[in-house]
Amino acid sequence: MSITYLEAIREAQARALAEDSRVFIYGQDVGAFGGAFKATKNLAQQFPGRVLDAPISEDAIVGAAIGAAIEGMRPIIEMQFADFSTPGFNQIINHAATLYWRTEVPCPITIRLPSGGTSGSGPFHSQSLEALYAHYPGLIVMTPATVEDAYSMLLEAVALDDPVIFCEHKYLYYHLKAESLPDEAMPVGKARISRPGRDLTIVAYSAMVHEALAVAEEMASEGIELEIVDLRSVKPLDTDTIMASVARTGRLLCVGEAFPWGGVTAEVIARVASEGFNLLDAPPQRLNAKDTPIPFHPNLWASHRPTARSIAAAARNVLRL
Amino acid sequence: MPHVPIIMPQLGESIAEATVIQILVKIGDTVEADQNIMEVETNKATTTVTSPCKGIVSRILAKIEESYPVGAELGHLEVSSAQAAALGISNGFPDSTLSNSSQETDLALNRQTHQVTQVEPTVRGLPVPANALGATYMSPRMKARMHELGLHAADLAGIAGSGAGGRVTTQDFEKFLANLEKHKLTKASTMRVAVADAMRRSCTRPLATVAIPVILEPLLTHRKTLDPKPGPALYALRALALALAENSAPAGRLIGNYIVHPPAIDIGFAVEAEDGVLVPVLRNADSKPLSELTGRYNNLVELARARRLPAEATGGSIATVTNFGTFGLTWATPIPLPEQTLVLGMGAGRKVPNWDESTQQFVPVTEANLTLSFDHRVLDGGAAGRLLARVASLMVDPEKL
Repeated sequence: MSITYLEAIREAQARALAEDSRVFIYGQDVGAFGGAFKATKNLAQQFPGRVLDAPISEDAIVGAAIGAAIEGMRPIIEMQFADFSTPGFNQIINHAATLYWRTEVPCPITIRLPSGGTSGSGPFHSQSLEALYAHYPGLIVMTPATVEDAYSMLLEAVALDDPVIFCEHKYLYYHLKAESLPDEAMPVGKARISRPGRDLTIVAYSAMVHEALAVAEEMASEGIELEIVDLRSVKPLDTDTIMASVARTGRLLCVGEAFPWGGVTAEVIARVASEGFNLLDAPPQRLNAKDTPIPFHPNLWASHRPTARSIAAAARNVLRL
Repeated sequence: MPHVPIIMPQLGESIAEATVIQILVKIGDTVEADQNIMEVETNKATTTVTSPCKGIVSRILAKIEESYPVGAELGHLEVSSAQAAALGISNGFPDSTLSNSSQETDLALNRQTHQVTQVEPTVRGLPVPANALGATYMSPRMKARMHELGLHAADLAGIAGSGAGGRVTTQDFEKFLANLEKHKLTKASTMRVAVADAMRRSCTRPLATVAIPVILEPLLTHRKTLDPKPGPALYALRALALALAENSAPAGRLIGNYIVHPPAIDIGFAVEAEDGVLVPVLRNADSKPLSELTGRYNNLVELARARRLPAEATGGSIATVTNFGTFGLTWATPIPLPEQTLVLGMGAGRKVPNWDESTQQFVPVTEANLTLSFDHRVLDGGAAGRLLARVASLMVDPEKL
């Protein structure tokens, strides 16, 4: 049996619906159509009345979900594209994120954001908003990079009493496959050493983990050992695992597909520089998308985002410093 | 016709670059050897760049107000093959290479890139600056690791760095440490480590030494009259104390924008003990005559050798006397203690011929070199020299000591 990242997300939702009657799915075209990417395929038939089509208003969708959560439900919201979660931004950051802190009433909603770029998708269908949501206290921001994590972390997201922004990467939907679904999972907020190495720590998350792993494989043939840290969730950020890795290697490259300004990579480097300065044998570096809107043209897009090639160049640069 | 480059010459030992302020020739001009081609300005002086030989100015690459490093090409001369060969340039550049590479040459002269591309030694025998950046930068991790091991930057002097600009990376460092384990290692004594620390701290300052010979006969005659007999170094110590009592400013320390004057004329003297040097102190050495100092001096030497110096006899001295003559040495440049500006050194006495004006002949005298090493931030050669001359003049008049 082989299962894709997208199927794992569907399976996790099916299991959540099956195991907990408080769970329901709400979003545009999630019902009869099965979701823009078919992440809810057949769920409306399997769970009648619990997979609900919403009007084209992200603001209303999140608002309704918060109300349902207050009443004891555990809604899963699908935003068709992460980019379109911004019309619901006010509901997410001002209401969902602060609800428990204002009222002690938990807000167990899961907001699925199909994130990241695919070739030709352009500025409105490619963005990665994890840094934006991670900025706000009260939200948990997950960025699974593997099929197993996509499955287990989505189940955890539904089980958590806090609002969770679940950033699932569109590029991984069909490309990434696993043999089976996992039986157990790492705790929330714990990063994974995807590949141990001696010479340089690359901190990555979501699709960039796979680019970094490809680089590590390529450079291993030259005797250079890269250690790849998969953050899994960008908030909470597992500073301990990052710091321990930098303590081993002395060098840090942080890779993110999102824009550079005030991003997750900046946060990681700020923490290492302020708390682990004495671990560094070279200035920590980061590699992000270019600081421009995301281009449509496949060639431009390929040079806009970090790739195995640009990560390898950046890694070699850090190793030379 | 071959072309030869007009090169920014080495204008002084510490000069790495100069700014072109005037160009005195134009393309097509015939120039003689050593004719002034450009005026350039360094942070020390204005000077000229001259033509390496007779020729016709074929290209001017330098621009007014631009700075160029030593060795940079400022222009070209078209010269005869014989002249090119005489300059050590086999054929020079042929014309074609010049025109083809003109774009790159202009780019290469750009201020941002010339350091990398421009200091190729194009003319044999002309000095060009070394491009090595030096292994001076230490990463936070290197610093932390060295702190952990109690090491200092000076300990790394022998490591060739593989990092950017030749810096020593932790990998280089760990390799170096692993390699050390293959050698015989003995533990340095506490005294050795303490001396090393003092010397390292002292050498953060610019130190210089001046010297003067002093005739010892009056002193040698005088010491026979005393019991116990003071050693020559004690004469030097007492003379230094009196000279500093007249003017203590040369023993002051420079701290920020202030000269900190010494509170009392307490003079230390170096005593070799075990694996290092101890510096006992004679307090108020200016206020007691030599005859009274001798007993205390001898006593302190013994205590130092036994490493039993009392606290009141160590520290707080304003200058030190060291008698390197006891090792038969005639010359040395001792390093002052980190908290002192001055160290007075005394060499071994030896018989030398000395011109006697009254008898118009050479007569044998016993002479020793007196050296004064000093912090050049506080004193210049003149002030140090005047102090040393004053010490020497007091030593040849030992009755006054």
